[in-house]
Amino acid sequence: MDEDFYGAAYKGSKQFSQEQIRTANATGFGAAADDYAERGIDLNEQLIINKPATFFFRMKGDAMTDAGIHEGDVLIVDRSIKAESGKIIVGSINGELLVRRFQKTFNKAFLSPENRKFRPVEIDEFVRFDPWGVVTCVIHVIDPVLQSFLDNRKRDKSIG
Amino acid sequence: MKAIVDCNSFYCSCERLFKPQLAGRPVVVLSNNDGCIVSRSDEAKDLGVQMAGPYFMAKHLIEENDIAVFSSNYNLYGDLSMRVMDTLRELAGRDNVEVYSVDEAFVDLSIIRDEELYETAKFIKDTVEMWTGISVSIGVAPTKTLAKLANHIAKQNKKTSGCITVLNTPEKQREALQQARVHSLWGVGGAYSQKLYNMGITNGWELATMSEAWAHRFLGGVVGVRLIKELRGEHAVDMRDELIEKKMIATTRMFGNPVSDINDIKEAVATYTSRAAEKLRRQHSAAKVISVFIVKKEEDHNMSFQGSTLSERTTLPAATSITQELIKPAIALVDKLYRRGQEYKKAGVMLSGLVTDESIQGNMFLSETKNCERRLMDTIDNVNFSQRDDVLKFAASGTTRDWKMRQELRSPRYTTRWDELYEVK
Repeated sequence: MDEDFYGAAYKGSKQFSQEQIRTANATGFGAAADDYAERGIDLNEQLIINKPATFFFRMKGDAMTDAGIHEGDVLIVDRSIKAESGKIIVGSINGELLVRRFQKTFNKAFLSPENRKFRPVEIDEFVRFDPWGVVTCVIHVIDPVLQSFLDNRKRDKSIG
Repeated sequence: MKAIVDCNSFYCSCERLFKPQLAGRPVVVLSNNDGCIVSRSDEAKDLGVQMAGPYFMAKHLIEENDIAVFSSNYNLYGDLSMRVMDTLRELAGRDNVEVYSVDEAFVDLSIIRDEELYETAKFIKDTVEMWTGISVSIGVAPTKTLAKLANHIAKQNKKTSGCITVLNTPEKQREALQQARVHSLWGVGGAYSQKLYNMGITNGWELATMSEAWAHRFLGGVVGVRLIKELRGEHAVDMRDELIEKKMIATTRMFGNPVSDINDIKEAVATYTSRAAEKLRRQHSAAKVISVFIVKKEEDHNMSFQGSTLSERTTLPAATSITQELIKPAIALVDKLYRRGQEYKKAGVMLSGLVTDESIQGNMFLSETKNCERRLMDTIDNVNFSQRDDVLKFAASGTTRDWKMRQELRSPRYTTRWDELYEVK
């Protein structure tokens, strides 16, 4: 079972065989509609290119608001993509993980925030820098009803 | 050629992935219930922290050297293990990877040309590290046993080996075997190595040059012959050879605190039974025998960690993998074992007499209810797998779980829980 859930290149939820379709089971013949059976659209399939290398983070703070990343957003981070200049990355600076835009000029490199309140960090010989992964996508919840649903679920879990 | 890919200080590496501030700092991970040290980073090894040593005995060393300590976070380690294995499958092809343990896998490299073995191993190593953040060591050789030896050599001196050792020529294999003490060889158990030393056979090369007839006589028959062949570079242990179904399934845990109430023990045993039944169904087996054991908490605090163990077993009327059919006899066994006023520190459930589960495919010779039960089990397994936290469980397993294990220093489950994602600034 595990195998189906963790195919490396994520193949979505359409991995199913004839045995899994009830009508085929009962009669030995597939009902006509089964020929068109699909499990519908799957977000993982769309947003996760390389599953074993993909991790989720949660944004804390407002350092990247001008790039459309807000407090509480979920970040999809792919470690298999190389951190190149211009990409928004997660990287460690002196042991702390940060989300910033990675910017490289011919002789300097920076991690730049997207909010005037913050200052860019120059990556020089005095800081320990390691790229962690590239942010490929941001999930931002806009509906307050959905937001409170998610918050409640979190609260239930911490009580139970 | 075959490769073994082995994660370096796996649990410690998992902890470091989300805590870059731990780079270069010694790290240890404790076992269930924070009893023993089960993983050490290289820095901790250098400080003399012992593997499997009790935590309290290493405590002064840990505090003096500012070693970072973590409780086991099996959700995190399990997820990262799956990522490492998936990466290997992606690189080498699904059928060429055999998962050997949570942090080791054999990879069949028979399609790789000799002069490209090192580059291939390096590519595998770099890709696994980039994708998953877990560093690995790789040993490459003609047989699994020699690959294990190659990996052992790679790990002994990571700086010079770059964590990769390739033993692709007879000369290299001979040199490696001459330097390997027999007890460090894969497949040579403690009892055999003593026997070999007594016979004057001390290194791998001496063992490899013994005859097959000798091995058959003194090294446990066919198994011994296979070992000798493997050491000579003739492959005798197939890919997947080891992956036979388990003959026995056990789930045991220490209690967080000693328990004396029979209901707590019953809840714990019911939970372990559910867990064991789940494992049973995963390998498509059914069990004929169930054993339950509980371990008394000893009053005196001497150095023996073994309390006295009490156990009872029942043979079931028919082999089953249905949780409720296993919980009932398990609880009855607790009634038999339990003595009022005694404190217990550990319990466990073992399923044996395993056979292929007849009820897995809808079986028309079985009653309709049996098929329904099977479907119910599948549903429970699916829900629990997707929801993680045992959303569906049997009432006998209790709802409060006072006896649950102690994990005071566990880091968040970054990769398996929405509410425990890493908060990045």
